[in-house]
Amino acid sequence: MSIASDMIRGHTDTIILAQLMAGDSYGYKINRGIQEKTGGKYELKEATLYTAFRRLEQLGFITSYWGDENTGARRRYYSITPAGAEQYGRLAAEWEQSKLLIQELITP
Amino acid sequence: MEYRIREYMDQLFESAPRTQRAYELKIELTQNLIEKYYALVGEGKTQEDAFNLTVGSIGDVRELFAQLEEDENGQPVPQPVFYPQEQPSQRRALVRAVAVILYILSLVPPIVLTSVGDGFAGEVLAPVGMLGMIALATGLLVFDSLTHPKSTRPAPGTVVEDFRQWQSAKVKKKHWVAAFNGAFWPLVLALYFLLSFGTGKWYITWVIFLIAPAVDVIVNTLLKAMMEQKKL
Repeated sequence: MSIASDMIRGHTDTIILAQLMAGDSYGYKINRGIQEKTGGKYELKEATLYTAFRRLEQLGFITSYWGDENTGARRRYYSITPAGAEQYGRLAAEWEQSKLLIQELITP
Repeated sequence: MEYRIREYMDQLFESAPRTQRAYELKIELTQNLIEKYYALVGEGKTQEDAFNLTVGSIGDVRELFAQLEEDENGQPVPQPVFYPQEQPSQRRALVRAVAVILYILSLVPPIVLTSVGDGFAGEVLAPVGMLGMIALATGLLVFDSLTHPKSTRPAPGTVVEDFRQWQSAKVKKKHWVAAFNGAFWPLVLALYFLLSFGTGKWYITWVIFLIAPAVDVIVNTLLKAMMEQKKL
């Protein structure tokens, strides 16, 4: 699994942006979404997730706001920006190309 | 168990830069970890296992902290939140001033009435007049502190406000302690004069001031104990 983890790590941004394409979300829910998608095989470390949040926010691909839950502590929600959606399209297309290329290369 | 997660985060963030951003990140991360912890418990994990899994899922925070450091050095950090302090209103100032004036003037009835004549005026009117004024002044101060709970409203939508909301329950209960503390010493003073003028035994009535601090401590402790019980 560690090799796959290494490979996936390079696509952390794409993975997070993909989650946010489905709507605004917060840290735990995003990671849970990732976990559910992979049937519990993959999950981001919190440190990785929040580092990516800050980076994406600085690049202007996502924005954040504090939710208005009535009970308990509030959650910080993230929302994808138009620039972020564009970036997601680019990254996904890039991956499609890489995938085909690698497939070609590793086929005997 | 929740407090163990908070405690863990406190320790973890010891090495983080002391910025608003780091603080908000800590709040956000803690909130999400607690949610994760409860989800794990809900799946049937033991509390201990859930805690270990939660804490273990944090991973290496060095990069995260380095990023915060960068924010501080390079990128503009958001302005520290400004909390407007509530200015004491004129009406409030007036109430307090009147209370103080009443305290000072409360000595006038005994001075004037006892010099004018003895009997009814000196024995009854003097202490009654003085005590009435002290009672009124104390009432004003208690009213003032109860109707103006200490509150500084920070800008909405900040973590600080969350924290305030979380704390507000505590603060509300503290009003009663504040009210008691405000009223206590004026009342002791009033009792001292009442007993002294009433009995004329000035040589012994000062013991009140030795007893009063003891009573003060006992009542405060009892009030706090009662609040603790209510909380549980």
